[in-house]
Amino acid sequence: MTYQATAISDDPTKLPHLPRWVTSGHAETLETAAFRSGAALTVLEQLVSDPRYGVPMKLLANRLALSAATATSKLEGRLAREGDIRDAYHLTPPGEARGPDGDLLAFWRAAARIRTDGAGEIADLMGPDFADEVGIRLKEAQDRIRAHGPLAGCVFVLRAVLDVDDRAERSACLLSDVVLARALNWKVVLPVTAQRLTKTMLRDLDSNGQGADLAVQVRILESIEETIRMARDLACRAEALRTVKPKLRAKASDSAVDLFLTEDAVAPASMLSPRIRGTNTPMTDRAARRFCDRLVELDVARELTGRPTFRLYGISP
Amino acid sequence: MTTATSKRKPADEGGAVFDRELDDLPQELRRREWMGRIEAVLFASVSPVSREDLARVVGQGASVEMLIDDIQAELSGRPYELVQTAGGWMFRTKTQFADAIKASADLGDQSLALTEMEMGVLCAVAYHQPIDRAGLKDIFGKEVSRDLLARLRYRDLIASGPRSPRPGAPHTFVTTETFLAMFGLQSLRDLPELAMAGPGST
Repeated sequence: MTYQATAISDDPTKLPHLPRWVTSGHAETLETAAFRSGAALTVLEQLVSDPRYGVPMKLLANRLALSAATATSKLEGRLAREGDIRDAYHLTPPGEARGPDGDLLAFWRAAARIRTDGAGEIADLMGPDFADEVGIRLKEAQDRIRAHGPLAGCVFVLRAVLDVDDRAERSACLLSDVVLARALNWKVVLPVTAQRLTKTMLRDLDSNGQGADLAVQVRILESIEETIRMARDLACRAEALRTVKPKLRAKASDSAVDLFLTEDAVAPASMLSPRIRGTNTPMTDRAARRFCDRLVELDVARELTGRPTFRLYGISP
Repeated sequence: MTTATSKRKPADEGGAVFDRELDDLPQELRRREWMGRIEAVLFASVSPVSREDLARVVGQGASVEMLIDDIQAELSGRPYELVQTAGGWMFRTKTQFADAIKASADLGDQSLALTEMEMGVLCAVAYHQPIDRAGLKDIFGKEVSRDLLARLRYRDLIASGPRSPRPGAPHTFVTTETFLAMFGLQSLRDLPELAMAGPGST
């Protein structure tokens, strides 16, 4: 059976995008990095805070959490791959231990859900070693931001946390994300800091190496640019999914589509049936599988694992 | 000083509420009482006690870490120490007295010692978690018996983790906080680097 091709509106002029002069070339001094980050953050800010652009924020946050988990796994020397981390998180039955990889993703997903004004929530996530310091560091970072821009604030807290414990990479990156979110007055934390950092950079930062500040700032800037691309991409994909929504005739398709617009990976057997997660809408196992197959058929979702069993579906690759 | 505090205690416990703040005591005595409470809680507990649990017996404004630092400073000459492990703090005898304890307690064969194979499997799980039995078989070149895994699980050194995406959905194994406490690790990152354990060091 053939279906009418879905008209996906990915009109590039509709969504704000990065001007060429930001992406071309390389920031060579702290000043240019600060200047370019201003332009990049303005674009991201528009995408994130204006609902007209239809960026699925929860989906974006969850997707970023997965990349951040992969990046921090590298920073912590465990070297788990993205697929392994996703599997560890999604295939753990309720009540069982997730293991280090699953826990790491759970950490970042929790990070993406904290409110930026809740110092208590931040302290809980960062653990007892930093609980007392969070408030002070955030205030100091604010002064930094006033004088040198948001990225300088991020680098400042990264260094402050690593000074206390050089193995607290994930806490350092989390606090840096919080600083960024606060500087931009976002209500949610987007895990962007960790994405492109390397162990060497953090070590240099900790030992006050030459040019360490600039190297880290450039990487955070790159990951902000990457996040803009991801946000635009997800907005288009979400739009495509919304377009095909009327064609989905499964009983619970509305709630199921909503789940796809918040979760980067959906396991039909556990997240759609017997009840669609977060709702009371029932869906049978078979209906859930058929629904996911249908989305793939309509070319709005993808199977993420390439396995014949324990499949995970998502709208972003 | 000590009699004063010990007299106070029964009176407190008789009351309906547990007095955390101890507002009626002078600064110095209050600190001593808080330190005493933390020490007592840790002494009475078999497993590590978390920060939140300790914070419940001292005043709102008091820093558990600083109180523990003070206790640790006082314990410097003692044969036991207060250490931070996964999930909290616990008392532990210093390793140099291990032989003395072994000699006195006559632990015999039922000691905590693990067999070579158990140790090997535990290591494999620690480094490769989450790993299922098939994965362990790949490492050891032979089936790892369910009994052995059950023994490790009974001692709470390993637990079941995520399902492995293979036919039959076998569950994988992950290490527990007891494992970290037993080997004196704060997190899995304290495991020795695999590269260091190569032929160079052995």
